[in-house]
Amino acid sequence: MSGDWQNALRLDPAAAPQEGRFDSWTRGYAPLDGIPDEFIGADGAPRPHWTRFFSAMARLEPSEIDRRFGAADRHIRDMGISYRVYGETNDRTWPLSHLPLLIDEGEWREVAEGVIQRARLMEEVLSDVYGSGRLIADGALPAAVVTGSADYLRPMRGVAAPGGQWLRLYAVDIGRGPDGRWWVLGDRAQAPSGAGYALESRLIVSRAFPSLYREMNVERLAPFFRDYRAGLTQAAVRAEPRICLMTPGPYSETYFEQAYLARYLGFLLVEGDDLVVRDGLVHVRTIAGLKRADVIWRRVDGDWCDPLEMNASSRLGVPGIVDAIRQGSVVMANMPGSGVIESKALLGFIDPLCQRLFREDLKMPNIATWWCGQKSAREVVLERLDEMAITGAFGESVPGFPGKRILLGGELGADDKARLRGLIEARGVDYVGQEIVRLSTTPVWENGKLTPRPFVLRVYAAATPDGWRVMPGGFCRISGQPDARAVSMGEGVTSADVWVLADKPVEMATLLPTDASVKIRRLLGNLPSRAADNLFWLGRYLERVEATLRIVRCLCNRAVDADPGVAPAQQSVARLQRLLVAWGAASEEVVGESPATAAIEALYADDHYGSARSLARDSARAASVIRERLSTDTWQLVQGLEAQLSAPAPAGLSEPECFDHADSALRALAALSGLIQENVNRVAGWRFLDIGRRIERGVNTCRFARHFADANATADNLDVLLELIDSQITFRSRYLIGVALAPVRDMAMLDTFNPRSVAFQVGRIDEHLATLPVLREDGMIEAPKRIAVRLVSELATEEAMKFDAARMFGVEQQLAGLGSAIAERYFLQGPQAGRVDKLRDLA
Amino acid sequence: MIYEIRHVSTYRYAATVPFARCTLRLLPRDDPGQRVFTSGLDIAPASTQRSRRTDFFGNHVTSLTVETPHRELKITARSRVEVDREAPPHGALTPRWEQTRRDSVQAPSLAPTAPAHFLFPSRYTPLIDEITEYTRQSFAPGRPVLEGAAELMGRIRADFKYDPKATDISTPLREVFARRGGVCQDFAHLMIAGLRGLGLPAAYVSGYIRTIPPPGTKRLEGADASHAWVSVWCGAEFGWRDLDPTNNLHVGNDHIMLAVGRDYADVSPIDGVIVGSGGQKLTVSVDVLPINGPV
Repeated sequence: MSGDWQNALRLDPAAAPQEGRFDSWTRGYAPLDGIPDEFIGADGAPRPHWTRFFSAMARLEPSEIDRRFGAADRHIRDMGISYRVYGETNDRTWPLSHLPLLIDEGEWREVAEGVIQRARLMEEVLSDVYGSGRLIADGALPAAVVTGSADYLRPMRGVAAPGGQWLRLYAVDIGRGPDGRWWVLGDRAQAPSGAGYALESRLIVSRAFPSLYREMNVERLAPFFRDYRAGLTQAAVRAEPRICLMTPGPYSETYFEQAYLARYLGFLLVEGDDLVVRDGLVHVRTIAGLKRADVIWRRVDGDWCDPLEMNASSRLGVPGIVDAIRQGSVVMANMPGSGVIESKALLGFIDPLCQRLFREDLKMPNIATWWCGQKSAREVVLERLDEMAITGAFGESVPGFPGKRILLGGELGADDKARLRGLIEARGVDYVGQEIVRLSTTPVWENGKLTPRPFVLRVYAAATPDGWRVMPGGFCRISGQPDARAVSMGEGVTSADVWVLADKPVEMATLLPTDASVKIRRLLGNLPSRAADNLFWLGRYLERVEATLRIVRCLCNRAVDADPGVAPAQQSVARLQRLLVAWGAASEEVVGESPATAAIEALYADDHYGSARSLARDSARAASVIRERLSTDTWQLVQGLEAQLSAPAPAGLSEPECFDHADSALRALAALSGLIQENVNRVAGWRFLDIGRRIERGVNTCRFARHFADANATADNLDVLLELIDSQITFRSRYLIGVALAPVRDMAMLDTFNPRSVAFQVGRIDEHLATLPVLREDGMIEAPKRIAVRLVSELATEEAMKFDAARMFGVEQQLAGLGSAIAERYFLQGPQAGRVDKLRDLA
Repeated sequence: MIYEIRHVSTYRYAATVPFARCTLRLLPRDDPGQRVFTSGLDIAPASTQRSRRTDFFGNHVTSLTVETPHRELKITARSRVEVDREAPPHGALTPRWEQTRRDSVQAPSLAPTAPAHFLFPSRYTPLIDEITEYTRQSFAPGRPVLEGAAELMGRIRADFKYDPKATDISTPLREVFARRGGVCQDFAHLMIAGLRGLGLPAAYVSGYIRTIPPPGTKRLEGADASHAWVSVWCGAEFGWRDLDPTNNLHVGNDHIMLAVGRDYADVSPIDGVIVGSGGQKLTVSVDVLPINGPV
């Protein structure tokens, strides 16, 4: 009795608002007329799995929901999840809907079967059109449906796909039509994107609603990626293959995704320039020389893969790679030329092809399509033009209507309609007519309530050792408008996580191998030369930002402390200003102006390559192309530094304000240095970052010492030098007398116990070089090591008093030479390296 | 007629080039009406690796690398070719152009000579409304296809000025059309784009043409040029027929064919990459010498 009472007491206040919330969300939710909805079934009742989801969500206070949505948004920003619109240089943050799309297991099974059947069919079509051409000879497929595609790559004709498979990752865009069935809208085989975003969306949404995610029995994505990787591994000739993800580079629309997938799957992210074909084999340029690449997952379009056999103007590809494929020495996923099956013209033939090849009905129909290259189909389209959507048979736009992806016959003006008819009659091969399908809607969260929005779902299938397998989930794009007949990633489109709901709890899964026989490794493979190069430059740029900031801080400090009448301080100020000019941080005109003028330029000038702002941008750019090698924290700090220095400079900053600005940027840098020292694994990558920093610091210190510890240096000059190299406290604790030339020189140049001295930098570089791989096991010392050893001994045997500006300059030169020797040895390899130019052709 | 052909391409570089990788289409192919007796390439400095294959369209392709540092790369192609083509059919006998257009879509073949390969826009031959309209004037309804094509060829010859300074290979077709001037490549691309715009298959042919010096003058060495013309599909019975819009000629025994493709990009004589960033300069000299027959 008392127990019930207690329960009632506890339940009442909680239950009421919970139900109230659920009602208030759903009461106003009305599917659009005649269009199916994911949440509300055809009978007008909510579907049970959605009710389960919303009831669970309603247990959370509205403020808590807002807080979690906010956390998800922040996560997207912090992770730098972004995409790029073609032609733009800046990333855009990924728009993610806060609610997942829910699909129950039974329905998903049917979707998956349809996708697998289609993947098998497409594989057959590809091996036919690049092989015997039987489907064409028999009249099952018109030749022009194949040859009209720019992705029918003729050099691939007659090539056997290494590993036996044209497709290894295939995707299909589906939507639910008015009849409630799923329909295929299009195929993706070139280099399907979005799988990585799906993975990332999952991470975000499941973190925002962890208990909900557990309760709903959501199928995991990791096994799909594990199996995809296993498929690639099995296809390779060698047992432990090196798998590369070949990217068009950081300016591609989906670079973030590519870097993310490479890191997630443990593949090497490479650009075309990282690969080289030698003796019929593909190699990666690494710091240990050329290393064989066995499998290439390409995100570069097929036509751009090889400038020698395909598009000769491509700079993204690898000369000779098609020949390596032809010889079977490298597996490429998907094979170049796979994109031919993406053309809409093919959609008109899928059904009969399925009958002919498999003697089966299509399990998932595709959107009804008539290719106007055939007389009968053309007649249907022209007759029913008003009810049809017209699109290009190949490519993205409608020929004759530049910039239009789709034309709705019924909405065309009389002139356009007549023109379209004429075009279709003349060159019907270029057009298809498609039935207009309005897509089903799914609830999205808008301003605290639910609204129905149409969506398209991309589903992925991978070739695995056990055959085709479908990712339980996908990449869902939701339109911003209520009426969507064609959804593309562009304006007003968000993505959503896709939850396939099992009937019973699902097993936890990660990419961790279950096999206990995994060999333990402490060093990982070989660092690609390009990554080493970028890490080296990231190190150099970061150090250079620091040096600029230190000069600015020192300059402002002098200006504040010094009595304007005191000559020595003024002389130092002028020297510091000249240093900034020589450094490329400020213009000639600042010499003689107030210290603040020079400081503002050195901090914020856009047009000076040596300004802190320019250098921070260079750092971020170097970091952005090796994002897969940097931890999220590191990447955030690099971006933070750039953001801080890119913010518009307030007008009329005073010296103390400039001092504060420089000081705060230096603190951000200190955090970054600390993170790099403490948290980055001591493998080759970290060493190159550190070598870059140390070479730069060595060079800069020589430079500072030449300016402020020359034969005529004043006490104030020497003090400036100590401040620039952050050694004032050490100096004062060691020498109780004031500053003097020899001890200061010793501290800056020769003192191996001072972590800012040149000798210290050289010692660290020498140690790093000793751990890096050598090209030949002949015991001969390599060029960088030779220079480093010479420098170490030179600095160890020098005397401070004799170490004048000329000698300092000599060391500076040798350090610069060491930088070049490192670049030549590790970043460029052999005669094929270096800037590549096109042979221009005959006129 | 038997010809001896020498085609020399010389690249001179501002800075030493340590490495070059090229794809060459400089060796002529056998074809109905053309037989290659001998052909070969000299590369200086000598190539390190060299391989030969036949590309999709049946053209001879040589891939090579040069790994000797060099300031000059000289590629010499020599061949001895017999040409004996049948006379072109009378235009009026060929099918109506609408019929050819229909047949080209229906031909069930992906073979290298199948019309389906030559129906669509390609890299150098986008379809441009103005060019299609220009072409249409030669194709009244029901006109035999070769008759229309031959008239088009004559109009191009009459309306466009041969002007080597007007264009280079990167000049877009639209501009060539607007300027009413160009060289053999431009005229070939123009005619191809026009024919394809009407739905008629057309191919690009590279090769050489024998030049006959004006009476009383000696032939200048190296003065012959590489050439380009058009092949038009005239239905299954008549097949491919070659027309030279630069000279308003049916291709006969003065033409030696090198390679066939959809446009220049498929047959470009030299494609390649070099390592190095200095400037480069290319000079080409071609000699086409008849061995027997009238001199």
